[in-house]
Formats: sequence, structure tokens, C-alpha cells
Amino acid sequence: MNIVDFLKNSANRYPNKIALVYENDSFTFSELLKLVENFSLPVELLNEENVISLISENSTYFVIAYLGIMNLGKTVHLISPEISETNLINQITSSNSSMIICSDLVFKKISKFNSIKIPVFQLNNIPDNINNFSSKYNEIAYLIYTSGTTSEPKGVGINHSIVEFATKNIVQVLNYSNSDVDILPLPLHHSFGLGCLHVSLFVGSTLILLKNSSDLQNILDTMKKYNATTLAAVPATLSKFLKFNENNLKDYFSNIRLVITNTTKIPINTIENFKKIISNGNLATYYGLTEASRSSFMIFDENKSFDQSVGKPSPQVNIKIDTQMSKSKIGEILIKGNNVIKKYWKNIESDKNIINGWLRTGDLGYFDVHGYLYLVGRFDDVINIGGEKVMPDEIEEIVKQIDGVENVVAFGIDHEIFGQVIKLHVIKSKNSNLDKLSIITFCMKNLEKYKIPSKIDFVTNIPQTDYGKVKRFMLK
Amino acid sequence: MSMDIETTVKNIFFEVFPNLSESDFSWDKDQKDYEHWDSFAQLNLITLSEAKFDISFTFDESIDIKSASDLLKNIKSYLS
Repeated sequence: MNIVDFLKNSANRYPNKIALVYENDSFTFSELLKLVENFSLPVELLNEENVISLISENSTYFVIAYLGIMNLGKTVHLISPEISETNLINQITSSNSSMIICSDLVFKKISKFNSIKIPVFQLNNIPDNINNFSSKYNEIAYLIYTSGTTSEPKGVGINHSIVEFATKNIVQVLNYSNSDVDILPLPLHHSFGLGCLHVSLFVGSTLILLKNSSDLQNILDTMKKYNATTLAAVPATLSKFLKFNENNLKDYFSNIRLVITNTTKIPINTIENFKKIISNGNLATYYGLTEASRSSFMIFDENKSFDQSVGKPSPQVNIKIDTQMSKSKIGEILIKGNNVIKKYWKNIESDKNIINGWLRTGDLGYFDVHGYLYLVGRFDDVINIGGEKVMPDEIEEIVKQIDGVENVVAFGIDHEIFGQVIKLHVIKSKNSNLDKLSIITFCMKNLEKYKIPSKIDFVTNIPQTDYGKVKRFMLK
Repeated sequence: MSMDIETTVKNIFFEVFPNLSESDFSWDKDQKDYEHWDSFAQLNLITLSEAKFDISFTFDESIDIKSASDLLKNIKSYLS
């Protein structure tokens, strides 16, 4: 089954049911399918790779183009609208994309990029001169370049079969059904948002797509307006919700049976508060990579014992910890299953991370005695100070407790004796007169002596991916 | 000023070695006579001194410090 079949099946079962709502537009499953099937492309521009780049904010056009390209048997290369010219050119070259289809906003931006040598079309203005030229589907449904928290981006091609497997797991574990009304304020060019779209198409639920998650009141109002049953949001959005009145939030969330969030560390306070707010449902999270979608699930309940966990492995997914390099239960997380890619996109070096079907994730973690998986950090982020291994998160958590620290990132820098020592980049709060000595003194009181930062710089910016993950490799 | 520097350096030792008492402190007491003066403590002495006096030791200076008086001498060389 390919992704377009998800839509076809739902259109067959529920032709007149609302499939997609975006701003003032709504489409039934049969209307959406018709739009997808009518989507056409100038075939003469396609090369042998059959890769077409799609760059757009969330919109109805995005959904139609995404499914439409795949319906033509092509691979969709998904790109963030925020991408820089350099990264865009690198991705276009690497993917061998034959054309770019983009939103009006993105068109205005990238039409100034002289280095783009392939045709660029606006989503609502694509030449209409071919139809149904291919009935054979590319094995690869879409191509995403990973956000690169520890290295430069790598191309990850996702097969239709991987999407089918991961989608069925999501549906099974989180009990999605055609009676759901799903609120999606996440970007569709990212695996999290895309996975939610696949689920809605697969089960035949109604998807209420929002432009983004910046307007929290709009999310709440939309939930109420459509009697939504599920919400997908990143942890930062959930934490921001907690600034609203608790009783009002409980009212808004009274019909919600599921709030799904993703791997980024969820503050304990946010978990505990959301458990109370969602009185008729659950907060859930998952652990996954673009390369290994939805590898574990965690559904939070009254038991606080496992709140720091990312749950247990998904059905028919194997996870193990490689502790060869450490002397503790913590080690690199390896994943094997039908949700794991077989190889990277034209990247022999990265392919070495997949051995006999096991993907080396580069994430550090461990299992507890109950089989719950815990994430500790990134393998590449570990700071090795004279043989003592330090996770930067631990240092950052302590430093964030200091008045006047708005944000901080810890990383290792080379040292002639220790191999590495800890350096901090600290963003001070507005009007703060915090100095380096105060930070070091606080650390000396709260951390072991080998964890004391040796160097501190006050900065105004910390390099992050589009999804808020720190790009530590750019700091080292 | 000199007295202030000496007091500050002594306090650095008390911060890095929390179990060190006033009576145990001596300017000429050697690194090997401190129970907990290992390479990490050395690093923290340097880090704290650099932060308190807004100076930056060279690599050679930082490994040559073997006593409180060594540290004081190096700091003074930057402040003179």
C-alpha cells in the first residue's frame, strides 16, 4: 500500500466525510482525492531521478501537491521554507531534483537565488500539460534532509512501505480512528507533522490543519470549534499553554482524548500539569528519528515512575543498547524494524551506521528493569574530560537555575591535558548583570569538580535547527 | 590592593578545597601535600582565578602552579 492509497481507501469508505480543513476551506475525502488525481506536472522537465522538491508552509496546496507528486509516481523532496540559499543548493544538487514547487512566500524568497538552475513553480501556478503519465510508484515516497544537530544534513529517503508500517503502529498504539478530529499545527515538511497527516488519511479522520503553532489561542479556539479529539504539538507549545488559566485549559481540553508530542525533552512540570488538564485523555510521546520513525511510544498515566521515559518499543520494532564503549547501562541506542531505512540517500559514509538492519542512532540511552527506554543525550555530544564522561544537558540544567541566564549551551573544547574541557555559551536575560564568576561559583557548589565549565562566553545567539535543537557541532 | 589579592587567592583555595581549614592553609604548602589537589582541582583553581581577576593564563603557567604562592605570583604578574 502506498500513501496515496490511504486517501483512496478513505475516499472509498467515507466519500462525503470532511477530510481536510484549512482556514476557510474544507474538502471531503472524494474532493481531496479528485484534486490529488488532477494534480499535474510538466513531464518533460522530469529527469531519471523523478525527485521533485516541495517547499511550502502548511496549506491545502501543500497537501495536494505532496500527494499529487506521489500519485504521479514521483518522490517528494521536502524542504523547510526557512532554508538558506546554500543549504537549498546543496540539497537540490544532492537530491538531483528536477524542479521546485513552492508557495508564493517561498517563491518571492528563492526567486532571488541566482544559483538555482532548475525550474521553480508556484503551487497555484503549475503548467498543466500532462496527465497520468506514470502508474508505477517510486519506492521512495519522500526525501528529507535531517536537521543535523551533530553534523551536516543527510538525505533520508522514506519508502512507502516504511510509512505504512509506522502509520499502522501509530494507529494501533494510540487508538486513532475515523471518529477522531485531529488538530495539526505542526509543519508538514517535518516527520512529526507528516506522520500525523498520514494517520488521518489512513483512518479516515478529519484533519484540521493550522498554519503553525504560534497562535495558542487560535489552537484552543479551533479545538473547541471542531470538537477536536486529538492535538499534536511539540513540548515547547505544551509548556506555553501552561501560562493560561488552568480551569480554562481544562475546559478547552475536555473533549481531547490524546495530546501527542515528540521526543524533545519534555519538562516534568509540563507532563504533570498536562495529566491534570487532559481529564478525559492522555498525553503521549514517542521516540523516533527520520531514519526510524516512531520507534517507541510512551503514554503517560497516573504513575509518575516512568515520566522521564520515552516508553517501550513499538510493535515489531527492536531496540537495543550498545554498551561496549561505556562501563554502565547507558549506551548508544540501536533500532531494527520495518520502520528503519535500508540506506541513506547516496551517502556511503552514513550507510556505515546501518549494520545488518540495525541503525546506530547516535542517541544515548538505557532501559530500566521494566523495559522502559530513557534518552540521555547524543553520543557525539558527550564531553570527555580526562576520561570522565559528561552529558552537556546536566551542566545546562544547573546553569539554567541561575538568575539572569536566559539560555545556555554546554559543549566540549580541546584541551592539551584533559583532551576536552567544558565551555559554555550563555545568553543573559535582558538587563542582567550576571558575570562569569557567578556562574562558575554556582557550578562549583552544584556540580562535581570535573564538571565545572572552564570557559564561558556571553553570546546573543545559540545556533539551532528549525525545530529548536542546538547545533552543537557548530560550536565545537 | 596586595592584601585584597592575597585574600581573594586564599578564598579561591577554600572554594576549590571545601574541606581546607584556615589552619591547614599555607602559602608554600605544595600540591602533593593537599589531599584533593588533583588535575581537576588544578583546572578549577585556574578557572576560578581567571574569572575572579579577569585574566587568562597560558598553558605553561597553568601547569606550573604547585602552591598558593605560585598562583599568587602568577596573578600578580598579570595585574602589575
